[in-house]
Amino acid sequence: MKNTLRNLRTGRGWTQEQLGQALGVSRQAVNALETEKHDPSLDLAYRIAALFARPVEEIFENPHG
Amino acid sequence: MAFWNTMDPAQKRYVIRTNLFMLGYVAVNIAAIAGAFDPIVGSRAGIVLGLAVAAPIAGQLWATLALMNESDEFVRMLNAKRFILASGLAMTLFSAWGFAESYGDAPHAPGWLIYPLFWGLFGLVSPFLKSSR
Repeated sequence: MKNTLRNLRTGRGWTQEQLGQALGVSRQAVNALETEKHDPSLDLAYRIAALFARPVEEIFENPHG
Repeated sequence: MAFWNTMDPAQKRYVIRTNLFMLGYVAVNIAAIAGAFDPIVGSRAGIVLGLAVAAPIAGQLWATLALMNESDEFVRMLNAKRFILASGLAMTLFSAWGFAESYGDAPHAPGWLIYPLFWGLFGLVSPFLKSSR
Protein backbone atom coordinates (compact mmCIF):
# COMPACT_ATOMS: atom_id res chain seq x y z
CA MET A 1 0.00 0.00 0.00
CA LYS A 2 1.46 3.35 -1.07
CA ASN A 3 2.25 5.65 1.81
CA THR A 4 4.24 8.66 2.97
CA LEU A 5 5.74 6.98 6.01
CA ARG A 6 9.37 7.35 4.92
CA ASN A 7 8.94 11.09 4.35
CA LEU A 8 7.20 11.51 7.69
CA ARG A 9 9.91 9.56 9.49
CA THR A 10 12.87 11.30 7.87
CA GLY A 11 11.10 14.63 8.38
CA ARG A 12 11.43 14.04 12.10
CA GLY A 13 14.99 12.79 11.76
CA TRP A 14 14.13 9.32 13.03
CA THR A 15 15.72 6.02 12.07
CA GLN A 16 13.55 3.01 11.24
CA GLU A 17 14.61 1.56 14.59
CA GLN A 18 13.40 4.66 16.45
CA LEU A 19 10.08 4.72 14.63
CA GLY A 20 9.66 1.00 15.34
CA GLN A 21 10.20 1.61 19.05
CA ALA A 22 7.66 4.45 19.04
CA LEU A 23 5.10 2.20 17.36
CA GLY A 24 5.94 -0.99 19.26
CA VAL A 25 7.01 -2.90 16.14
CA SER A 26 10.33 -4.16 14.76
CA ARG A 27 12.65 -2.25 12.40
CA GLN A 28 11.82 -4.91 9.79
CA ALA A 29 8.14 -4.03 10.07
CA VAL A 30 8.86 -0.32 9.51
CA ASN A 31 11.02 -1.16 6.51
CA ALA A 32 8.30 -3.46 5.10
CA LEU A 33 5.72 -0.67 5.46
CA GLU A 34 7.96 1.88 3.74
CA THR A 35 8.78 -0.45 0.86
CA GLU A 36 5.13 -1.52 0.48
CA LYS A 37 5.85 -5.14 1.40
CA HIS A 38 3.31 -5.05 4.22
CA ASP A 39 -0.21 -3.63 4.41
CA PRO A 40 -0.74 -2.54 8.02
CA SER A 41 -3.61 -3.74 10.15
CA LEU A 42 -6.22 -1.11 11.00
CA ASP A 43 -4.80 -0.96 14.52
CA LEU A 44 -1.24 -0.26 13.31
CA ALA A 45 -2.46 2.27 10.73
CA TYR A 46 -4.27 4.20 13.48
CA ARG A 47 -1.20 4.01 15.75
CA ILE A 48 0.89 5.54 12.96
CA ALA A 49 -1.74 8.22 12.32
CA ALA A 50 -1.87 9.08 16.03
CA LEU A 51 1.93 9.26 16.28
CA PHE A 52 2.21 11.72 13.40
CA ALA A 53 -1.07 13.47 14.28
CA ARG A 54 -2.46 13.08 10.77
CA PRO A 55 -5.50 11.28 9.34
CA VAL A 56 -4.89 7.71 8.16
CA GLU A 57 -5.87 8.55 4.57
CA GLU A 58 -3.22 11.26 4.46
CA ILE A 59 -0.51 8.70 5.25
CA PHE A 60 -1.87 5.66 3.38
CA GLU A 61 -3.32 5.88 -0.11
CA ASN A 62 -6.72 4.20 -0.35
CA PRO A 63 -6.24 1.50 -3.04
CA HIS A 64 -10.01 1.28 -3.54
CA GLY A 65 -10.90 4.88 -4.13
CA MET B 1 27.18 -10.56 21.99
CA ALA B 2 26.57 -7.50 19.80
CA PHE B 3 24.06 -9.54 17.78
CA TRP B 4 22.33 -10.62 21.00
CA ASN B 5 21.89 -6.98 22.01
CA THR B 6 20.13 -6.15 18.72
CA MET B 7 17.44 -8.82 19.30
CA ASP B 8 14.09 -7.92 20.82
CA PRO B 9 12.87 -9.80 23.96
CA ALA B 10 10.70 -12.22 21.91
CA GLN B 11 13.68 -13.24 19.77
CA LYS B 12 15.86 -13.71 22.86
CA ARG B 13 13.22 -15.94 24.46
CA TYR B 14 13.05 -17.95 21.22
CA VAL B 15 16.83 -18.47 21.13
CA ILE B 16 16.89 -19.57 24.80
CA ARG B 17 13.91 -21.93 24.38
CA THR B 18 15.29 -23.41 21.15
CA ASN B 19 18.70 -24.04 22.69
CA LEU B 20 17.17 -25.72 25.74
CA PHE B 21 14.98 -28.02 23.64
CA MET B 22 17.79 -28.83 21.22
CA LEU B 23 20.12 -29.53 24.15
CA GLY B 24 17.65 -32.19 25.32
CA TYR B 25 17.29 -33.56 21.79
CA VAL B 26 21.04 -33.83 21.27
CA ALA B 27 21.69 -35.23 24.77
CA VAL B 28 19.20 -38.10 24.39
CA ASN B 29 20.46 -38.87 20.89
CA ILE B 30 24.10 -38.90 21.95
CA ALA B 31 23.24 -41.16 24.87
CA ALA B 32 21.36 -43.49 22.49
CA ILE B 33 24.23 -43.54 19.95
CA ALA B 34 26.68 -44.21 22.80
CA GLY B 35 24.64 -47.28 23.72
CA ALA B 36 23.11 -46.02 26.97
CA PHE B 37 19.71 -47.36 25.93
CA ASP B 38 20.84 -50.57 24.19
CA PRO B 39 19.06 -52.84 26.71
CA ILE B 40 15.66 -51.42 25.73
CA VAL B 41 16.20 -50.91 21.97
CA GLY B 42 13.81 -53.20 20.08
CA SER B 43 11.52 -53.69 23.10
CA ARG B 44 8.29 -51.93 24.07
CA ALA B 45 10.28 -49.66 26.36
CA GLY B 46 12.13 -48.53 23.25
CA ILE B 47 8.89 -46.88 22.09
CA VAL B 48 9.04 -44.68 25.19
CA LEU B 49 12.62 -43.83 24.24
CA GLY B 50 11.42 -42.83 20.77
CA LEU B 51 8.77 -40.55 22.29
CA ALA B 52 11.37 -39.05 24.65
CA VAL B 53 13.66 -38.21 21.74
CA ALA B 54 10.77 -36.65 19.80
CA ALA B 55 9.42 -34.59 22.74
CA PRO B 56 11.95 -31.74 22.32
CA ILE B 57 10.84 -31.45 18.68
CA ALA B 58 7.31 -30.64 19.85
CA GLY B 59 8.86 -28.18 22.31
CA GLN B 60 10.88 -26.49 19.60
CA LEU B 61 7.81 -26.16 17.37
CA TRP B 62 5.98 -24.59 20.33
CA ALA B 63 8.91 -22.14 20.72
CA THR B 64 8.54 -21.19 17.04
CA LEU B 65 4.77 -20.66 17.37
CA ALA B 66 5.35 -18.66 20.58
CA LEU B 67 7.82 -16.45 18.68
CA MET B 68 5.15 -15.77 16.07
CA ASN B 69 2.63 -14.97 18.79
CA GLU B 70 5.00 -12.56 20.55
CA SER B 71 6.25 -10.84 17.36
CA ASP B 72 4.74 -7.81 15.61
CA GLU B 73 2.19 -8.34 12.85
CA PHE B 74 4.68 -8.21 9.96
CA VAL B 75 7.17 -10.71 11.43
CA ARG B 76 4.29 -12.96 12.51
CA MET B 77 2.78 -13.01 9.03
CA LEU B 78 6.15 -13.56 7.35
CA ASN B 79 7.11 -16.47 9.62
CA ALA B 80 3.64 -17.99 9.31
CA LYS B 81 3.97 -17.96 5.50
CA ARG B 82 7.44 -19.54 5.71
CA PHE B 83 6.22 -22.14 8.23
CA ILE B 84 3.21 -23.12 6.14
CA LEU B 85 5.17 -23.32 2.88
CA ALA B 86 8.03 -25.31 4.45
CA SER B 87 5.54 -27.69 6.16
CA GLY B 88 3.65 -28.23 2.93
CA LEU B 89 6.80 -28.90 0.94
CA ALA B 90 8.18 -31.25 3.61
CA MET B 91 4.92 -33.23 3.73
CA THR B 92 4.71 -33.39 -0.07
CA LEU B 93 8.33 -34.49 -0.53
CA PHE B 94 8.22 -37.02 2.29
CA SER B 95 4.89 -38.44 1.12
CA ALA B 96 6.27 -38.71 -2.42
CA TRP B 97 9.30 -40.56 -1.08
CA GLY B 98 7.02 -42.90 0.90
CA PHE B 99 5.03 -43.74 -2.23
CA ALA B 100 8.29 -44.24 -4.13
CA GLU B 101 9.22 -46.79 -1.43
CA SER B 102 5.83 -48.50 -1.65
CA TYR B 103 5.53 -48.62 -5.42
CA GLY B 104 9.16 -48.47 -6.49
CA ASP B 105 12.43 -49.55 -5.02
CA ALA B 106 13.44 -46.28 -3.36
CA PRO B 107 15.59 -46.91 -0.27
CA HIS B 108 13.83 -46.55 3.09
CA ALA B 109 13.89 -43.08 4.67
CA PRO B 110 13.31 -43.06 8.45
CA GLY B 111 10.40 -40.90 9.63
CA TRP B 112 12.52 -38.65 11.82
CA LEU B 113 14.06 -37.18 8.67
CA ILE B 114 10.97 -35.01 8.15
CA TYR B 115 12.06 -32.68 10.98
CA PRO B 116 15.48 -31.68 9.57
CA LEU B 117 13.86 -31.69 6.11
CA PHE B 118 11.27 -29.15 7.33
CA TRP B 119 13.93 -26.82 8.79
CA GLY B 120 16.11 -27.17 5.71
CA LEU B 121 13.15 -26.15 3.56
CA PHE B 122 12.28 -23.34 5.98
CA GLY B 123 15.78 -21.92 5.47
CA LEU B 124 15.53 -22.46 1.72
CA VAL B 125 12.20 -20.65 1.22
CA SER B 126 12.83 -17.81 3.70
CA PRO B 127 14.98 -15.57 1.42
CA PHE B 128 12.23 -15.73 -1.23
CA LEU B 129 9.41 -14.68 1.07
CA LYS B 130 9.92 -11.06 2.05
CA SER B 131 6.40 -9.70 1.74
CA SER B 132 3.48 -10.32 4.09
CA ARG B 133 1.06 -10.40 1.14
